[in-house]
Amino acid sequence: MKIQRMSGYTALFSLCLMGFFILAAPPAYSTDTFKLKPGAKGTRCIKCHENFKDVLKRDYVHPLLKKGECTGCHVPHTSSHKSLLIADKTKLCYNCHQDVLPEKRRSAHDAVVEGNCTICHPPHGSDNRYILTKSGKELCFDCHKDMSAELSKVRFRHRSLDKGKGCLNCHDPHASGKSNFLLERDTPSLCTKCHQIEKLTFRRTHKNYPVTDKNCISCHNPHGSNNRGIVFDVAHAAVTEGKCTECHEGSPSLRTKQKNTELCRKCHSRTVDAALDKNRVHWPLLDDVGCLNCHGPHATKEQKLLKGSVVNVCGECHADTVQLQEWSIDNKNNERLCEPVKKGECTNCHSPHASDNILLFPQESNGMGLCGRCHEWQTHSTHPIGEKIIDPRDKNLTVECLSCHKACGTGNNPAMLPFSSTYELCIQCHPERRR
Amino acid sequence: MTKALVKIFGMIAVTLVSVLLLLIPFSGAAIKFKYITSIYADAQGVPLKQPEGVACNDQSHLVVADTGNGRLLKYVLKDGTVETGTVEIKIAQLSYPIKAELNSKGDVYALDRRKRRILRFTPEGTFKDYVEPVGLTSPAEYVPRSFTIDREDKIYILDILSERVLTLSPEGRYLRHLKFPQEYGFFSDIAVDYKGTVFIVDSVKGIVHSAAKLSTGFSPITKSLKEYVRFPASLTSDNRGRMYLMDKNGGSMIILGQDGSFLGRQSSMGWKEGWLNYPAQICINDKGEIFVADTNNSRVQIFSVVE
Repeated sequence: MKIQRMSGYTALFSLCLMGFFILAAPPAYSTDTFKLKPGAKGTRCIKCHENFKDVLKRDYVHPLLKKGECTGCHVPHTSSHKSLLIADKTKLCYNCHQDVLPEKRRSAHDAVVEGNCTICHPPHGSDNRYILTKSGKELCFDCHKDMSAELSKVRFRHRSLDKGKGCLNCHDPHASGKSNFLLERDTPSLCTKCHQIEKLTFRRTHKNYPVTDKNCISCHNPHGSNNRGIVFDVAHAAVTEGKCTECHEGSPSLRTKQKNTELCRKCHSRTVDAALDKNRVHWPLLDDVGCLNCHGPHATKEQKLLKGSVVNVCGECHADTVQLQEWSIDNKNNERLCEPVKKGECTNCHSPHASDNILLFPQESNGMGLCGRCHEWQTHSTHPIGEKIIDPRDKNLTVECLSCHKACGTGNNPAMLPFSSTYELCIQCHPERRR
Repeated sequence: MTKALVKIFGMIAVTLVSVLLLLIPFSGAAIKFKYITSIYADAQGVPLKQPEGVACNDQSHLVVADTGNGRLLKYVLKDGTVETGTVEIKIAQLSYPIKAELNSKGDVYALDRRKRRILRFTPEGTFKDYVEPVGLTSPAEYVPRSFTIDREDKIYILDILSERVLTLSPEGRYLRHLKFPQEYGFFSDIAVDYKGTVFIVDSVKGIVHSAAKLSTGFSPITKSLKEYVRFPASLTSDNRGRMYLMDKNGGSMIILGQDGSFLGRQSSMGWKEGWLNYPAQICINDKGEIFVADTNNSRVQIFSVVE
């Protein structure tokens, strides 16, 4: 019994001793605790890893490698991480480069947040400054292919893209504490770094309006466009023709001559009057902002001067519906997702300004009129459908497409059904078939 | 001995749990609606078409804004069923009613969405006049998105054009206005409780704001309710200060305490009785009868509160 107790104490003591040594151990192999032989921290590694001799000849080499301290990042014996790294690849760099991702930031590069530093920086060395895989904008375009494709087509590119640091003239590659989109700072102060607003040519181009405290990218595409002055491709005629006084009071006042829809009505009376004469005007058209809830006043990327793609503009207020649409797109079981839903073309089924019908449908939803514009309802001819067929769930309703389908998408349900399966749907009206 | 102790403790625990369960319904946390009936047509059997408004009072009067048919219908109810024939109000001045209200004298008010004007009718259904704010300070323009009437018959208009809530005397004289709070999404509806507190609901952000009777501005009483609702577009309050919020896109109602706390959610999207499909206005009277304009199901549903 005594012997057993003694051995217990011994085991406890050994554990404590081990714990002490573990806690007291140096955080990495880079320290001298192990009385390593000269060169054991790195120079000896190169003896076997001969390819690093070439890396060392590159113009820009990681300082630890340059000093021969491979153990700054790698464990010589064993590690739980790939490439014998001392920490997970996504966290390792932050051991030294914490300042890359400031705590208070307004935007951050996804690659940086995810710790995928090696997408841009080969860890050991490169011939490009800041140990980058490529120099200039070419590096950015490796991932931002859409931007690259767009810029290859435009007539006028922002000159700073091809000068100096390229994209980095305006963007911070890691994170920005001062602006969105990784911008170094907000417009207009970002733009006025290069554009001298006091210059006569600048003032003349801007009709002497005090635009210096305005958001430059409400008119200009910061990357490039087909219009002079890199004004967005879709520009208000009054802007391209320089007729600012159509809407604004004479320079230097930037005040508009009238408010909201009333201002637009001056030229677009047919559209506005037609909308105002409907049973249901889209409410935002009547509020303080009016048309500008959805349209840009000067120039935008999108057709009809929309502030963004249709689904994004609608989603500003109807985020819940757009979320259903997004879930429906992601749903792999939903092969028969309505095309306009798939493409986010809300205005295919809803009149954006006004309508005489509920949900701003361009025509009455009962019968097959609305859906029948694209779908051949005969594919459902085995099921009674039409204005004479009363919905058994509600005597005031007839059986129509929307009796079984929810047209904006239903998340994970098949065929835009409001229920999780066809069976669940069918037993709503046919309870006698319940299994 | 040990077994006996365990038994005694077990019994005490069961008793405590039972007492707690009995207490819950009185704590205000558990509120449920019981479906009573639905109204599908007028006295002549003409079906309702996409009604968006319901107004009710303690004399069991119910006014339905039968939007799709461009008319108002006035019912008298007893125990949830229509007691006498309906009064139909269908005039040229009213083309697309979307909200209805009753004042203490039984006058009927309706908001016409097409003309964006509020109309006033006698209790018998004769058109009296339009509600036009008299003595309105600048800006003179307003667009009524919604309106409501308090127990003193004062009229409150949710003016989306000039971003304010207008308070008018029962005769329509301008009394005061409250500016909308900063940085809102879109305000869809307004309600006033028995204490005169004004509530407005931001459908886009899912936030309810309130302004006490004498206060000079709105402040939020809830955080975003988007966890519970998709697009809250209508609200009302009962005689205990609880709020009932209609989720238009989600087809449900949520109940909030006076302080904005979440008390429950009722119904869901569907076609059968008891379910809702793009519901609009909700009304609750002092008897605890709840009327819902079940718009896309083309009916009015009646529920009662079970506590």
